[in-house]
Amino acid sequence: MPEETDLRFKPISYKDDFVIVPDRWKVDFMVSMGELSVFFRELKENAKLMGTRCPKCGSFYFWPRSWCHDCYEDCQWVEVSQKGSVTMFSRVDISLSDLQKEVPFYQGGVHLDGVRYPIVALIKNVTMDTLHKGMRVRAEFLPLQERTGRIRDFYFVPDV
Amino acid sequence: MERVAVVGVGNTSFKARHIDKTFPRLAYEACKMAMEDAGAGKEDIESVVYSIYNDFFEHCAMPDHHIHYLLGFARKPGSRVTTGGATGGYSVRAAFAEVASGLHDVVMVVGVEKVADLANVIEMVKSITFAADPFFEYQLGASPAGSYGAAIRWHMENYGTTEEDMARVVVKNKGNARLNPDAQSPIELTVSDVLKSPMVIYPLKILDHCLNSEGAAAIILASEKAAKRFRKDPVWITGIGASTESGRQAERDYSDASLFPAVRNSALSAYRMAGISDPSEAIHVAEVYDSFSGVEICLYEELGFCSWGEGTAFLKDGMADIGGKIPVNPSGGLIGCEHAIGATGIYQVVEVVRHIRGEAGDRQVSGAMRGIAQSMGGARGAYSVCIVLEG
Repeated sequence: MPEETDLRFKPISYKDDFVIVPDRWKVDFMVSMGELSVFFRELKENAKLMGTRCPKCGSFYFWPRSWCHDCYEDCQWVEVSQKGSVTMFSRVDISLSDLQKEVPFYQGGVHLDGVRYPIVALIKNVTMDTLHKGMRVRAEFLPLQERTGRIRDFYFVPDV
Repeated sequence: MERVAVVGVGNTSFKARHIDKTFPRLAYEACKMAMEDAGAGKEDIESVVYSIYNDFFEHCAMPDHHIHYLLGFARKPGSRVTTGGATGGYSVRAAFAEVASGLHDVVMVVGVEKVADLANVIEMVKSITFAADPFFEYQLGASPAGSYGAAIRWHMENYGTTEEDMARVVVKNKGNARLNPDAQSPIELTVSDVLKSPMVIYPLKILDHCLNSEGAAAIILASEKAAKRFRKDPVWITGIGASTESGRQAERDYSDASLFPAVRNSALSAYRMAGISDPSEAIHVAEVYDSFSGVEICLYEELGFCSWGEGTAFLKDGMADIGGKIPVNPSGGLIGCEHAIGATGIYQVVEVVRHIRGEAGDRQVSGAMRGIAQSMGGARGAYSVCIVLEG
């Protein structure tokens, strides 16, 4: 952000008898994904969805968990099916996030085949009329050169 | 375990912006009122629990610390609780534990929130959504309304609840707020006004939302022995239950009827502790977490005021009105008072205490001897606390 728009450098203003001090918290991160790194690497490099399986109870986790919260055992990486079913959904007409440029968009729960829990995901190429509980969907990935290794590298579309 | 009484209550008004007051000043005003209400002095307070939700709202990562010495409590214990929208409930629980355990005899709980110091509503929502799962879900456009919208849709699909039914909650709560001089949004509305307001996340329109607010509330808790030193009409906390659910809301199992399992569990444990077997008969007044209109309908069911799927009928039959079987949110709730997050859960207790004392003015629920305060937070009620209060 150019310095002139940085609130930290703006003078105080007044409202009635009271002073307003403009300010800004600017905090950058370089977040270590640690034991979850495989997920992000495979997403970016190979357009694969990686989950984890508990060697003791067989629970298959996606989003991946590095340990099973039932057994307290370390899980092993396993590729997940890219197909699943919609569990719930809503349409977003106003978003105060950077996704505002895409409204209306659809968020929903997607339960990938074989895993223990649904995830929250973006669902595209749908409307409120076509979306329904149990709808079959498949993951679609951005092309390699557009993938950044972040969660929006993929989304779901109807599996037709 | 020691019995625990509420011996003093106080609150500021709730406003979109208290431009004339900093957050420590708001906290101070609520504390002073609670102390005067109790007949307590600063020296009586042995420990303080601060109910403050979000560091961004206060523009400070340790806001409690800076209130504590300004209140003159340096060298006394002070701590902060933050559990999203359930911050108030969990703070009361922490203070309750200090008294019930015998660790302290007199503990104050102070809830405060400033929010309009954030430059605009986008910065405010951004501050809230920093609470989303930081590994996988945070870039998926999470929002408070989004976390509740899908659950409300489930209620619509399974029980036939309509947008019009939800609008009735807004009309009721903003109407109740007209009887509450401390409420932010005392507005006379019609169902049609609500239905015509802009859609945010289906089925939630702007007027189905609570707004953010600024304000403070405080209560003073005392052991049975210490309570004798203060005002003569203590209100007892006879049940307090807390629970949680997965922070990843899609993981929650919909096979059970409960859309808010943390609420259900916290209510059941509070009722068990209070010896309540039928809340629909035992509870006389309720302050609940109506962050969105449709949520209140679900809460009638989760709290056992009616059976699963009967929430809409409970509302339409006037059971939740002041004068109904179990008046819900006579203060106006979050939709009428609006939502000063850390203060809200404390204010719910303040309101129920006033009804039990017979001090609730024009909105007084007659014959209220026992009430419940329920707050929840995190994505779609990942935390919940229920507090049963009795005269």
